[in-house]
Amino acid sequence: MPHDRSTPTRRDFLKTASTGLAVGLVGRAMPAMAAPDYDLAVVSGDPAAATRKAVEALGGMSRFVQKGQRVVLKPNMSFASGPDRASNTHPSVVSTVAQMCLEAGAEQVMVVDNPLQSAELCLRRAGVADACKGLKNTYVQMFTDRKFYREIRIPQGKVLDRVEVIKEVLDSPVLISLPQAKSHSNTGVSMGIKGLMGLIWDRWSFHSRYNINEALADLATVLRPKLTILDATRALTTGGPGGPGEVVKPNLVVAGVDPVAVDAFGVGVAPWYGQQFKGRQVEHLLAASQRGLGKIDLDGLNLLKATA
Amino acid sequence: MRVGVQAFSLALFTLLFALANYRLPDWLPADIYLRLDPLLGLSAIVAGRAWVPRAIWGFVLLVATALVGRFFCSYVCPLGAILDFLDPLLFRRVKRRTVDADASLRNVKYVVLIVFIAAALAGSSLVYLLDPIALLTRTYTLALFPPFVGLVNLGLDAVRPVAEAMRWMSIATLSYAQPVFYMSLVTFLIFAGIIALGRLVPRFWCRYLCPLGALLSLVSPLGRLRREVGPECPACGACQATCPMGAATDEGGTQAAECIQCRTCVAACPQDVITFPASPRMLPEGGSSRPDLSRRGFLYSVAGGVGMGFAVRESPFTPLQNKQQLIRPPGALPESDFLATCIRCGECMKSCLTNTLQPTLWESGLAGLWTPKLDLRFAACEQECNVCGKVCPTQAIRSLNLEEKTHAKVGTAILKKEMCLVWAQDKLCLICDEICPYDAIVFRTIDGYRRPFVIASRCNGCGYCEQRCPVEGDSAIVVTPIGQIRLRTKSYVAEAKKLQLDFKPHPGDDQFLLKSEGLRVGPEKRDDARPQPQRPTPAPAATKPKGFLP
Repeated sequence: MPHDRSTPTRRDFLKTASTGLAVGLVGRAMPAMAAPDYDLAVVSGDPAAATRKAVEALGGMSRFVQKGQRVVLKPNMSFASGPDRASNTHPSVVSTVAQMCLEAGAEQVMVVDNPLQSAELCLRRAGVADACKGLKNTYVQMFTDRKFYREIRIPQGKVLDRVEVIKEVLDSPVLISLPQAKSHSNTGVSMGIKGLMGLIWDRWSFHSRYNINEALADLATVLRPKLTILDATRALTTGGPGGPGEVVKPNLVVAGVDPVAVDAFGVGVAPWYGQQFKGRQVEHLLAASQRGLGKIDLDGLNLLKATA
Repeated sequence: MRVGVQAFSLALFTLLFALANYRLPDWLPADIYLRLDPLLGLSAIVAGRAWVPRAIWGFVLLVATALVGRFFCSYVCPLGAILDFLDPLLFRRVKRRTVDADASLRNVKYVVLIVFIAAALAGSSLVYLLDPIALLTRTYTLALFPPFVGLVNLGLDAVRPVAEAMRWMSIATLSYAQPVFYMSLVTFLIFAGIIALGRLVPRFWCRYLCPLGALLSLVSPLGRLRREVGPECPACGACQATCPMGAATDEGGTQAAECIQCRTCVAACPQDVITFPASPRMLPEGGSSRPDLSRRGFLYSVAGGVGMGFAVRESPFTPLQNKQQLIRPPGALPESDFLATCIRCGECMKSCLTNTLQPTLWESGLAGLWTPKLDLRFAACEQECNVCGKVCPTQAIRSLNLEEKTHAKVGTAILKKEMCLVWAQDKLCLICDEICPYDAIVFRTIDGYRRPFVIASRCNGCGYCEQRCPVEGDSAIVVTPIGQIRLRTKSYVAEAKKLQLDFKPHPGDDQFLLKSEGLRVGPEKRDDARPQPQRPTPAPAATKPKGFLP
């Protein structure tokens, strides 16, 4: 099969990933781009409007998506429950981002996850499929068969040296992470970095074989979203990741290029299990920042706080 | 015309089979063919000693047969259609003679019928073994549906490279979940045997074996549409040669009970002397044509049926009911009623969203053959789905709304600490807690570590924990029949309330546990926690939730 020039080979992918690691933040590694004014955009308001405003504050979607590119969106939609339970990303956040990608000229938007419950039920009840219905070239797809995954190596892996990832993610130049802010009874919180586990085949080994916090940091060295948009319009503060649990409404959307910084900020938006924490106190975020994947301390970050 | 109706009926049967899935609307009776089968309803009512409302459809068919004749076999029966359609394909070149023992073989179906009804009187359901509709539905589910999906997926895999290159993403990403079942092969072999018998004589099954045909033939001579041969009949034998049932006899005679009104003879007759006029008379000339079964034969059949019925029932499996590791579908009747009522059609297994419903082989003896059970290590019972009861034609699984179905507890999860990764190896695992839809798994701090516990009153046995448990081999958390609720009538919600069960989510449970002073473990206590050599990172402070550092 001839290779599509707009998609990188695995080699290209790994090269980019390691370059990114060497320089630090991916966004700053691109000299062609105008330096962004803000590291993080924190916008409160309605999920759709806040999402749009947050992305625009970072320089607009065209900063992340070039014309004719294939984009993969990774929301949380692996539980068969609606937005009220706050275990899945709000469908409006997903459809807004998909819409913005199309506006930026994306050839195709693929919304993917590897669900924990029946794929069909998750698609229906999470509301993402419905929300994206009218958007052209946008597909909402659960990958529940191993044939849709491909193994890649993790050169910088400490505990994990290879992992099977959804092919579409490997073959698309742009990955945008759209995590739901929620508690997690193993990793404390589940946000952008933890959400990457929805892109791999064998997530069970993270619990049974490896130290999940180190494995997540390893995974984050190869799965590098160009943009992370944290949906904290609702936050599941107990009973996560699946719920049911206590749901609070911070009414925030947090967007940034640095996946660790977005998550670290997210840790502060709500009390988890009744206690306030800092990003540094979340083991897998600390591990990710120690691998140079992003900043875990918020001091010195240029924040935009706005209302939509 | 007849072939068209037959093809339509087979297509409808197949379509309804395909539609039997969790999205089935309440108004659509996907199991209508099974309901129309009076033998299934009769057997369920007699064996289960209780009225089955859906069986009323079977009596509709009995009445229709008494009015018209045995049209069901030639126009409606999907198995008859398959036999008719496959016959020219498979046996065109085979020269078949009439079977020597034709007359006595024809009695076999009556013996089968009497045996099944007698067994039902003795309290055992055996009719599923040979009832054509149950047998065919079961074959569709267990033997034909899985390879069909496999073939579709193979086809999709074949076009996938093209679809990917053309960016037809809907096709490129399409793949259907592959259903798998135990007992597929044995189910298929029975079906194949029925087809193969056609090599001896067309519709061998219908002529000699089918108990439903036998039942219908008992009333069909009452039907007003009857074959009549005019006096000009030259006795050429063309009708005898073509009659698929061998119902045409010498010199224009008809075995009224065997005639299925297919009118093949009308087309075959060179003189056009055969008609099927509506007759005003109650019974054909020569009176009724009751089966040629001697009184002795009848009594032997009854005795055999009662004997088989007892043999099936009176085994150690009956007193051991509910004492074995067998999880039944939510809403299944109390076990002995369930076994007597279930007709093993497999419709519930076909429609099951997660494929957890599997046929039972030996777990509850001969009485439980092919009955549905939940294989929860393989797949869980989805809380948003209640289709198994909806499609059950005899209501051996009661049709329940989602609220009732949620409270139809099938068992309780038991955590095996010596196998659990968290209890035995201090690993960071939460999968059972993560996936539990009812928050029935909570973490409590024990010896400085947070350990999972099952709150039995919140567990309805859905089995997500058992299925997802990452331990290799047997799950460290297993659903047992403990606390299952099996009701013949009445509300599961009311019963669950009475038992103080609550399958509603309790938000904030973990927070409660964290704040509860009684469960806090001070640092001095942590010091004498046992050493953790395998642990790659230091244990988090006891009062901190997992994943957070001090």
